[in-house]
Amino acid sequence: MEILPQLILNSVIAGSIYALLALGFNLIFGTVKFFDLGYGALTTVGGYVVFWFGKKLGLPTIPSVIIGVLVAGVLGFIIYKLVYQKLRERRASSMILLVASLGVLTLVQAIIAMIFSSQFQTLSRSAGTRHLFHIGTGVITDVQVIIFASSIIIMVGLGLLLKFTTLGKAIRAIGDDEEVSKVVGINTTKIIGYVFFIGSAIAGLAGILVGFDTGIEPVMGLNLLLKGVIAAIIGGVGNVYGGVAGAFLLGFVENFGIWKIAAEWKDAIAFGVLILFLLFKPNGLFGRK
Amino acid sequence: MAYLVHLAVFISTTSILAVGLNLVVGYTGLLSVTHAAFYGIGAYTAAIFMTSLGVNFFLALLIAVVLTAICALLIGFVLSKFKGDYFALGSFGFNIIVYSIFLNAQGLTRGPLGIPGIPRPEIFGFVFKSNISYLILCVVFLIIVYFVAKWVVNSSFGRVLKAIREDEEAIRVFGYNTLYYKLAIFVIAAAMAAIAGSLYASYITFIDPSSFVLFESIFMVAVIILGGLANIKGSMLGALILVLLPELLRFVGFPTEIAAQMRVAVYGLILILLMMYRPQGLIGEYKL
Repeated sequence: MEILPQLILNSVIAGSIYALLALGFNLIFGTVKFFDLGYGALTTVGGYVVFWFGKKLGLPTIPSVIIGVLVAGVLGFIIYKLVYQKLRERRASSMILLVASLGVLTLVQAIIAMIFSSQFQTLSRSAGTRHLFHIGTGVITDVQVIIFASSIIIMVGLGLLLKFTTLGKAIRAIGDDEEVSKVVGINTTKIIGYVFFIGSAIAGLAGILVGFDTGIEPVMGLNLLLKGVIAAIIGGVGNVYGGVAGAFLLGFVENFGIWKIAAEWKDAIAFGVLILFLLFKPNGLFGRK
Repeated sequence: MAYLVHLAVFISTTSILAVGLNLVVGYTGLLSVTHAAFYGIGAYTAAIFMTSLGVNFFLALLIAVVLTAICALLIGFVLSKFKGDYFALGSFGFNIIVYSIFLNAQGLTRGPLGIPGIPRPEIFGFVFKSNISYLILCVVFLIIVYFVAKWVVNSSFGRVLKAIREDEEAIRVFGYNTLYYKLAIFVIAAAMAAIAGSLYASYITFIDPSSFVLFESIFMVAVIILGGLANIKGSMLGALILVLLPELLRFVGFPTEIAAQMRVAVYGLILILLMMYRPQGLIGEYKL
């Protein structure tokens, strides 16, 4: 039982990352109703922008993180304008959008690999001088504390935004019924643009945090995307808080799973959970209907 | 010349994969992004039987086809519960799970080390040692697969598949058990992938998990969408174009790593452009 506190901490940290991913993914899915797989690429973009500014150009950490988050958000917005908006105006099926977003994911990841090579890089400057916090017999790094805090802050922030601001109300209205929202005078194109910006910025932040915690590589986008999607589906797709619950559930299942089975099976465990949920509880824990 | 023969072998095996996948995606309307898993199961089965048990290629191929078909039946049964986008996501999941098995079940697959020394096929004392003879073998299999696929889509069975694609509820009202049809076509496509996998394993004489990652499934989807959904010749055209295209990049003289990534980038770009401007592909008869 010595290992138990560490397992719980690991689960919570993994859950926090997945929660961030699921928050952005659900925000986008809940509004535009298609699986935006290109979302995964923006985690990579965030990570590599910080790598470029922080490690190559030597900018301090905070400004480079802010730039990374903004670049990911802006790129998500541009991709929406160039690809998804045009397809949606033509009333393309959600399957077409899914395949197009798969193309976006593949293209962006490949471009990043061309620029930065496909090597694994770490974002933190001085490994080894990390502050460690001891909780019982478990250990947690300062980066991990920040990960946990950010996921809570983003979750609360997004919740407040959706509930109390005009923008949030417009976003929810579009999620409920895009046509009617348009009829009552909401500029849906503009609002959806904001949604893509916010969602992509969250993806970028998640990528950056992963980069500081472990490291970045071009293919991480797909892996993180899949974890976010699994968390979102477990929690009930399109439901912002459901996604967070799903994320922590996934974090716990994965980390407790590898307590008994070898760690290499983590991804298989995650997908096993997804398939079980799709089979027995397709609307997730908190899905509508 | 040797280089062209080498490419032609890849075009044939990719065509076999694409023709099979098109039966599922194009004719039945199920966006399956897990074809590389069946390709891999076929390749690993053939490779393991040939290297550890010394089984003849043609027998190993048959075992690979049967075993892959059984896996496809189980996976297809689970996937048949999903529709549309969820089917696609679920199929992703199986590709990742099967890939983890290739990578981690080291007792069976030797994990990342891969399986070396897979022999070339041999029949009545004749060994398909030269690449030309191997190409002929691949083309023979491609022709068989092509005619099986043609026969499937032109039969009454094929018409039911198209009806499932257009309106599954309606065809069910007419008393067809759509589950049975979807499973059957899924298994047929997987069996074709197993043929391609066995041919690939014996041609390269070495396999490792990296040939069967999710990206390869995405590549196959790009092949059939570019060629055209619900058009068997289209799949072969797609395979021809997408195997040759990255080779052109190599001639332009990019370094290997950049060229490899450029190949991936080109596939991504093709998917985006096709979805935006020509979702039915070059000669397709159906749009997603």
